[in-house]
Amino acid sequence: MSGKNSMTVDEKMSTVKIKIDKEAHITVNKELCKNCTDRPCLIICAAENYKWDEKSDDLVFNYEGCLECGACRLICPLNAISWSYPKHGCGVKFRFG
Amino acid sequence: MDKTTCIVVGAGPAGSACALSLARKGIDTVLLERGRTPGEKKVSSFVLLMTELRRLIPDWEKDLPVERNIIRTDQAIFNGTDIKMITSYNYDKLKNPVYFSAFRRKFDEWFAKKAKEAGAELITGMTVTDLIMDNGRVVGVKIDDEELYADIVVGADGYHTKVGEKAGLVTEWDPARARLAVKEVLDLPPEVINERFQLSDGQGCDMGIIPYHFGELSIRSSTLYTNKDSISLAVFAHLGELKEKNIKLHDELEKFKEHPFIHKFIKGATLREYQAHIIPHGGRVNPENLYGDGVLLCGEAGGTTDTASGMGVPTCMTAGLMAAETIALAVKKKDFSADTLKNYLKFLDSTSILDMIYESKKTSDYWVDKGKLERPDCMAAIADSYNQYWNADYMSKDYHPLFLNLYLRVGKFFAPKLIRMIVTPILKGYSFYEKTVEKIKRKIRRRFYEWKKQYDN
Ligand SMILES: Cc1cc2nc3c(=O)[nH]c(=O)nc-3n(C[C@H](O)[C@H](O)[C@H](O)COP(=O)(O)OP(=O)(O)OC[C@H]3O[C@@H](n4cnc5c(N)ncnc54)[C@H](O)[C@@H]3O)c2cc1C
Repeated sequence: MSGKNSMTVDEKMSTVKIKIDKEAHITVNKELCKNCTDRPCLIICAAENYKWDEKSDDLVFNYEGCLECGACRLICPLNAISWSYPKHGCGVKFRFG
Repeated sequence: MDKTTCIVVGAGPAGSACALSLARKGIDTVLLERGRTPGEKKVSSFVLLMTELRRLIPDWEKDLPVERNIIRTDQAIFNGTDIKMITSYNYDKLKNPVYFSAFRRKFDEWFAKKAKEAGAELITGMTVTDLIMDNGRVVGVKIDDEELYADIVVGADGYHTKVGEKAGLVTEWDPARARLAVKEVLDLPPEVINERFQLSDGQGCDMGIIPYHFGELSIRSSTLYTNKDSISLAVFAHLGELKEKNIKLHDELEKFKEHPFIHKFIKGATLREYQAHIIPHGGRVNPENLYGDGVLLCGEAGGTTDTASGMGVPTCMTAGLMAAETIALAVKKKDFSADTLKNYLKFLDSTSILDMIYESKKTSDYWVDKGKLERPDCMAAIADSYNQYWNADYMSKDYHPLFLNLYLRVGKFFAPKLIRMIVTPILKGYSFYEKTVEKIKRKIRRRFYEWKKQYDN
């Protein structure tokens, strides 16, 4: 969809500072995802942390690049996402929010 | 066992205003924030309305961290392919500055510091994970691996409120009533910004782009405004709608940036930071659920934001101040039960916040269920509401609700005859706006209809 000058999401995410927590603040019950017909998490996450791996027919999820907006939590139709904020001052640190 | 009188969770506009006011009243207050510095978790493409803040911190001019003094608000209408400017309003003749652009990272830090200086204890880098309950009353919070007790806990922890959730006060997590915002801060030299927006040094411009023809559109609104040496650009869309249409908002943002109207402002800019956040509708919590035994909610946690304009900072501050008034009363009575805390509603009702909550809920229903907002007259009403917030004073009762505005413009054609006969004349008698606002409204409407005619032909 994007023109030739535009950046990929990965490139955009390289502008964001994140202190990674050892403990995952979001966990996904991936078994439920196999039967999900919509999988809106794949389109809603602005950091594209949710991806579907066709080969293994499995959800690939990465909590480390999370912008902490919580859209995935709201949109998941199966309540498969257990969501909270990172602890101990970890997570995203916006410098120009 | 560590115990204090009041724990305020979240050092955003609501929490810091509440803690500042409590500290000034001499009430022991701990302000808890999960960010290592207040504001680092926030994404609010941010224009700061000065009305409440000026009152709260009269010497704000000394050190308020502002980017630019907004002297002009531009409004444009967007139909998916075409954008047209409809109105532009200058504030530079006004005596007091009305708006500033600011970064939340700096503003929230500054505001929390004011609360700290007034005597509140600020603890950062700790996340509240649960409430401590005793016989159905809230008696403290669990933070990371520790516990802290208090007579009362204030949930000022934003949309994803842990306090509201654990106290059982917030149950609404409806994706149809929340918008996703994807935002970029784009670097540009100050001279280039000045030239493109026709500003002189220190002056700023705030542009609201309102969508028309909702059917095909996913972007529900957008804002573009100037910082010192950068531009903030955000697009907003309802989560439910993005899901339905299977659209990535960040792709939409890229397309939007390539639109000639937007492109001419941001040409050659480089990305400084990429951000995303939720911006909820107001009126999410029934006012009866804003308080419980040992607990109060304020700010976005309690839905005290304006659905129509998205204005959150001033309304959340006002709610925080009223929470502090309620707590002062409870301290005096030495009673923190729901029975005493019920007075919160009275305090809120002495401002325009309660009205705003009800109107926001109605606007939200209208927005979500009826899909009537595509009507040009509704769009004009929304444009009005965007334009009136520069003039809004949420501490006073004369908030001008969008829904009444909509009723007069559209609703009266659908209302039953009896209601029409009684309600319309009363509302008409009620003077909504000061003269200047009335003038702007006429101008918007005229331009809107002119534009619509052009577009429809
Ligand atoms: C893109 C965007 C643009 C906006 N533009 C404007 C604008 O121009 N003008 C305007 O007035 N409003 C604007 N708003 C709305 C405004 O940002 C919000 O309404 C406002 O920030 C709400 O204030 P609050 O104090 O209720 O909550 P928040 O500002 O969300 O503050 C909550 C605080 O609590 C902390 N917290 C949350 N959970 C925990 C926990 N468990 N433990 C400890 N701390 C916690 C958070 O880190 C945060 O600091 C915008 C919003 C967005 C998303």
